[in-house]
Amino acid sequence: MSTVSGLGRRMLRTLFTATALATLLAGAASAWGAEDTLAAIKARGVLKWGADAEGGAPFVFPDPQQPEKLIGFETELAVTLAAKLGVKAEMVQNQWDQLTPALLRGNFDLILNGLELTPENQQRIAMSRPYFVYAQQIVTRKETAGLTRLEDLKDKAVGVLSSSVAQRLAEEAGIAGLKIYPGNVESFRDLKALRIEAVVLDLPIAIHYAKPDATLKLAGPAFAPGYYAIGVRKGDAALLAALNQAIEQLAADQTLQRIYEKYGVWDERQSGLKDFQAEVVEQKAAISTLREWPKYLPLLLRGALTTVELSVLAMALAVVAGLGLALARLFGVAPLRWLATAYIEVIRGTPLLIQLFLIYYGLPEVGIRLNAFAAAVLGLGLNYAANEAENYRAGIQAIPHGQMEAALALGLNRWQALRHVVLPQALRLVIPPVTNDFIALFKDSSIVSVITMVELTKVYGMLAMSTYDYIGLGVMTAGIYFALSYPASIFASRLEKKLGHDCR
Amino acid sequence: MIAVERLVKSYRATRVLHGIDHAQARGETVVLIGPSGCGKSTFLRCLNQLEIADSGRITIGDITVEGGHAPRTREERERQGQLRRRAGMVFQQFNLFPHLTVLQNVTAGPTIVKGANRAEAEATARELLAKVGLADKAGAHPGQLSGGQQQRVAIARALAMQPEVMLFDEPTSALDPELRDEVLGVMRRLAEEGMTMIVVTHEMQFARDVADRVVFFDRGLVAEAGTPEQIFLAPQNERTREFLRKTSTR
Ligand SMILES: Nc1ncnc2c1ncn2[C@@H]1O[C@H](COP(=O)(O)OP(=O)(O)O)[C@@H](O)[C@H]1O
Ligand SMILES: [Mg+2]
Repeated sequence: MSTVSGLGRRMLRTLFTATALATLLAGAASAWGAEDTLAAIKARGVLKWGADAEGGAPFVFPDPQQPEKLIGFETELAVTLAAKLGVKAEMVQNQWDQLTPALLRGNFDLILNGLELTPENQQRIAMSRPYFVYAQQIVTRKETAGLTRLEDLKDKAVGVLSSSVAQRLAEEAGIAGLKIYPGNVESFRDLKALRIEAVVLDLPIAIHYAKPDATLKLAGPAFAPGYYAIGVRKGDAALLAALNQAIEQLAADQTLQRIYEKYGVWDERQSGLKDFQAEVVEQKAAISTLREWPKYLPLLLRGALTTVELSVLAMALAVVAGLGLALARLFGVAPLRWLATAYIEVIRGTPLLIQLFLIYYGLPEVGIRLNAFAAAVLGLGLNYAANEAENYRAGIQAIPHGQMEAALALGLNRWQALRHVVLPQALRLVIPPVTNDFIALFKDSSIVSVITMVELTKVYGMLAMSTYDYIGLGVMTAGIYFALSYPASIFASRLEKKLGHDCR
Repeated sequence: MIAVERLVKSYRATRVLHGIDHAQARGETVVLIGPSGCGKSTFLRCLNQLEIADSGRITIGDITVEGGHAPRTREERERQGQLRRRAGMVFQQFNLFPHLTVLQNVTAGPTIVKGANRAEAEATARELLAKVGLADKAGAHPGQLSGGQQQRVAIARALAMQPEVMLFDEPTSALDPELRDEVLGVMRRLAEEGMTMIVVTHEMQFARDVADRVVFFDRGLVAEAGTPEQIFLAPQNERTREFLRKTSTR
């Protein structure tokens, strides 16, 4: 699972690829020097548990009445487990999709935050017996009928949370119109904005967020049950045994039931927890995506194609709109000049991320509904238009005033003088900086994953999350970016030299 | 041909031209002299509307423009354009268009402004280039030419618009001395052919030989005007005498 996320997580998520490598290397180092964590916990009297409070209700979240205090069924479970070990519980905040690397680094003793009991997770960490049975739920708009099973969604636009069980199930079911969101709030927004027909997500989140919303409904029964379990570092056998014993007792004496009922997440399925029998997980060899490149490279290249399409269209928009803005700013009549100046300054002074959110999630509220690709092109294009406008302005202002005067003296009007004399010279000056901006845009374009675009960096993130091969995939992805941007930068520097020689 | 009445021009609070009157017949060549900063360039720039006069009236041929404000209506803009087309301007710094060939520099005016047929414009341009002695440079870019050659192209470019008047603002001041004669020679021939010209220059020999009339500007006013003989041999104004003494010893 992963739950509702705030702005912070979305930004971090786009950054995570950069930090993942460092985190992993550091994690490997600390794992070698592992001591007995249970003894350490008892010695310090504190159990440090890792979770993401931005993940939200009903797992771990700030008490609305008392925002500095955390509540949620996992919070109470952590406190109860710590008490069983005779220590206090201390929550360590960590971005959800980075919990495992952070555990391996030694930032905390265990993960207790909707971590699924899957063979994939068990490749890297040891997992306790389950403490919760989750299931998947389809959520639709109130008036939608007949979308109650995953099979009904095959040819529909369906939203899921990035790297969630729902995403995996939806992909396996071959849902064509899958849209991947960084958080749940956004998927519900798009559901209400009619961009998608259904959202598939963890039942507790559906209960907490969609049930109280009169315009949405839980469609059909929950399905695909699975387990949440506590994650510890491999080798922490004593800690794992203590946790398993404690969970078994809490299930048997109905403490779990009491806690879960308090948060409205108790159901029939949970009663199976006390009889859980662990299966033996066979240890798989680590995946080397480099060795298996024929399988992974095409996926990355498909992402790269989206990145290229997006960048080229956005830059085309930026180059044209930027010229209009520069001319309006330099030569427009007063109100037009002010508008262009205000636009350029505001766009350059605000984050691209916010602009993308406004275009994608804000515009539907005034009736303008763009698909993700159009919103991404528009967002990047209009943002870069402000930069290009300043490039043009600098270029135009670099042309000696005598050129304009000579043209006017010949009888050309202002517009003819601009078009035939000033602009052709200014454009040569701006080709190098504009080409450099294109390369920058090309790399910046990865930010559009926050509005559900799956481009190169996003594909990398998704594959890395499932294979854990950050290095192999990272090498391939960086290689693709480089192979695409290097020719452009060679072109830019050649052009710069050539124009430097033959102009004037 | 040219009539200027009570021309006044200020830059912000500083008045540069204090009410210039000037009348010039068709075919007449006037050389304008005077100390630096006295307003000679400003006068020429007002004539072809690169500057808008505060007040006064400018007539070239059959077109009259009043000072006071930049053209506001379509009709005023049209009139300003016609005045400009009647006056060709040659700048001290040449101001050729570096991204165009020599031939394209000369055809730019006729093709863009008058919508002239390209082939005809090029034929005319080649004739003009031959006339200034640069028939073989049609395909070159301005950056490949010497200063003297560039200035001759600038003259051809202005002539291509078939102006009734040619204005020269220190056309040889930016040139090395050995390149000046080729430009002055072209101007001399132009005067002989009957072109109406106003030439701002420090070339006193040129003024003596070519000018029909010499006008001495001082602090934004016409201090003295007369034939070259009158001005150079018997200047009446003390400031004229002082100016001529300084330039001759330079
Ligand atoms: N664009 C301008 N803005 C302000 N002052 C100017 C400008 N152009 C010229 N001047 C001033 O006007 C006066 C006359 O200049 P100008 O006509 O260039 O003189 P000249 O050509 O006789 O040397 C000078 O004092 C000069 O400093
Ligand atoms: Mg001057």
